[in-house]
Amino acid sequence: MKKNSTYYVLTIIGLILLAAGLYLIKNSAEPQGVMIALPYILVGLGCGVFGHGTGELISRRALKNSPDLAKKIMIEQNDERNIALVNRAKGKAYDLMVPVFGSLMIAFALMGVDLIALLLLVAAYLFICGSSVYYRIRYEKEM
Amino acid sequence: MKNRLEEIRKARGLTQEDLADALEVSRQTIGSLENGRYNPSILLAFKIARFFDMSIEDIFIYEEEKAL
Repeated sequence: MKKNSTYYVLTIIGLILLAAGLYLIKNSAEPQGVMIALPYILVGLGCGVFGHGTGELISRRALKNSPDLAKKIMIEQNDERNIALVNRAKGKAYDLMVPVFGSLMIAFALMGVDLIALLLLVAAYLFICGSSVYYRIRYEKEM
Repeated sequence: MKNRLEEIRKARGLTQEDLADALEVSRQTIGSLENGRYNPSILLAFKIARFFDMSIEDIFIYEEEKAL
């Protein structure tokens, strides 16, 4: 389990990103290029990171006062059937992702989407497929 | 794989919740084991056997899969 300090840092980073995003929205008069979208990305990212950090801190504080509940949650998290279910669901989702992403790339190519965006999508797709092969080989050695 | 978990648990007067707490697994896992929907890992099988002070073969019944 990660330390509480990690989540305090995450909360602060989230707040900084959120504040930076709001500042840029308010103070950039005529944004151009990347600055059009960047402030909103910062706000979105900041909210996400801030929410994750504070959520974890609040839940830890709540669980501190009820050790029974904390133990129950720990059992649920470490339960071998739950872990098997999660892993199987992830495997199925990956199997689905391969044809879905493949079809999407073909559709984007036919639609004449910008080549940079298409190549980025292909690179992401290949990276995920490569990761799958890498972990397969790594686990082959471990087991 | 079939098992006698439900029979043994009831004979000892335990609820699924009691057994789950003792083995540190979820109650749903005990239910799935009893229904034969889930086969435990060898570690959990040992834990169950030790808890009931029995051997694994006394609880879990191994059946050869029928040839296709």
